[in-house]
Amino acid sequence: MTGLLLRRLRDLVIILVIVGTMMFFVIRLIPGDPAQAILGPTARPSDVDALRESMGLNGPLWEQYLTWAGNVLHGDFGTSITYHAPVLGVVADHILPTLTLAVLSTVISFFLSVAITSWQAVSPRNPVARALDRLSALGMAMPDFWISLMLVLVFSVTLRWFPSSGYENLFTDPATAVPALVLPLTVLVIGQTALFVLTLRESLLGELPLAYLRTARVKGLSERQVMTKHVLPNALMPLITQLGSNFAMLVGGIVIIESIFVVPGLGHLLMGAVSTRDFPLIQGVTLFVAVLFVLVNLLVDLSYALLDPKVRVS
Amino acid sequence: MSVALAEKTSPVREKPSSGRAARVFRRNRMLVITSAVLAVIVLAVIVLPFFLPSVSATDPVNRLLPPSAAHPLGTDSFGRDVLARLVSGGRASLGLSALITLCAAFTGLVIGLISGFFRAADAVLMRVMDAWMSFPAIILAMALAISLGASIWTELIALTVIFTPFTARVIRSRVLGIAGRAYIGAARVSGMSRWKILVVHVFPNVLPLALVQVVILSAAAMLVDGAMSFLGLGIAPPTPTWGNMIAEGRSYLVQAPWLVIAPGVTIMVCVFLLNLIGSSLRIAVDARARTLSEMQRLRTRRPSGS
Repeated sequence: MTGLLLRRLRDLVIILVIVGTMMFFVIRLIPGDPAQAILGPTARPSDVDALRESMGLNGPLWEQYLTWAGNVLHGDFGTSITYHAPVLGVVADHILPTLTLAVLSTVISFFLSVAITSWQAVSPRNPVARALDRLSALGMAMPDFWISLMLVLVFSVTLRWFPSSGYENLFTDPATAVPALVLPLTVLVIGQTALFVLTLRESLLGELPLAYLRTARVKGLSERQVMTKHVLPNALMPLITQLGSNFAMLVGGIVIIESIFVVPGLGHLLMGAVSTRDFPLIQGVTLFVAVLFVLVNLLVDLSYALLDPKVRVS
Repeated sequence: MSVALAEKTSPVREKPSSGRAARVFRRNRMLVITSAVLAVIVLAVIVLPFFLPSVSATDPVNRLLPPSAAHPLGTDSFGRDVLARLVSGGRASLGLSALITLCAAFTGLVIGLISGFFRAADAVLMRVMDAWMSFPAIILAMALAISLGASIWTELIALTVIFTPFTARVIRSRVLGIAGRAYIGAARVSGMSRWKILVVHVFPNVLPLALVQVVILSAAAMLVDGAMSFLGLGIAPPTPTWGNMIAEGRSYLVQAPWLVIAPGVTIMVCVFLLNLIGSSLRIAVDARARTLSEMQRLRTRRPSGS
């Protein structure tokens, strides 16, 4: 267990170094001067130069990189140029909407896909189960930005059931928050459930021919018990791995969905930061996403230990 | 473990014969049908623009017309024919996705082969790939597109960079399974150089899986390409792509929903077809892949007493 934690910690460091370095240099390629962007096109050249100096943009690139890396090691991610506040604080202010969307959609998709797949396994000849099989392939094929617009067209514009924007904090104002969350969550759930159903079905099919199921049936367990006690726990493992590796895709989807449904989350923040050339903020958000990725995968590893006695013992 | 399991059952580089091909196709009616439909779409995209009105011919009087006989998919906010733009946009969208797929599949194949076969390189390469994958693709693509300026080439570079690790990982796991085989050991004992073993013995065994990966990749490339165009990071508006047609139609979602529906359905159909082709090909190539009909067979095999 400690070995696992240490390995994850090592991965965390490696991933952060690579992602941080990559983003640092990619961002520096962006044409346009952040100092000029702040002061506007009419600013005097001397003012622009002074601001560049104060932002540390005048030194050679490697010097900027070392300064930045040193500051990050001290927990200082710099000051956002547009928000005039420490990056960590700005990120913290925008994290709740993104986390709400990510966690809720993942949990809903997880249970939905387990339900659908178990049903398909128990009654594979059921026409509805077979239709769902085709639908999950279709769900994988739908561009998320396009379903978002379709849902807005049908449920906001035509039927007027749910608003197309207007995010509220779920914990302080649930009455307004829930209807506004329905459409963005639906989009995320469609894509994720489709993926999870395909993953889970494949692993379920790998379990079904194994001999231990015959033992379980011979000792008199009902088909339902065989399914819930023996097949599902084993078949869930690849799905849980998928949860971890799907995280990056989920965040990518959330970025687009936040911009369509005007949700003030990390994606919204990032899009704004990119358009205003807010270097420190872009770096802060991307590093933060990378940290989240490693943490999610750590959670995945820990849940292995809970689900699989073999891992627990070793 | 799972790799070893697949190795036991998957066919090892059988000589392709016409009889076998015919059998494979008879067994995979889905593969034949989906490939045929996709071929028709590709053909239409290549041929039809010669017979349709110009994509840039504006006609302000007839703007936002609903679908009719003259304009089967209606007209957009400039009075341009949506069908013509859709077909012509297909050239950009399909062509770019194909190009991205080829580039990413090639780099992924090379990295996967090297990292699966040379253990020393593996440790470094896979760490880098992990870091790469931890990154939301769209963010990296956004950063690259903005830093290098939005153009076809930027998008090509960005999406190649994004999709490379996914191919590399799949190829690597297959190479790992093959590298432990007896015939690789035999080749090594006979004094063959490692690079030659990689090219002559490993590569041909990986190729079928790589082809499947190419198809799956092209579906993913279409989706991300659509999203990039939609966000305005792909090919710029006067040239139609399916993604930027949706972005342009978004402002007229209420008055002219066909502007958004038509390109969206087209993307969906293409991705759907590619996914189906990919999964049918996988069943032919990879013994681990199973389908719902197999679930039925497995279920019927269960002891009658239960």
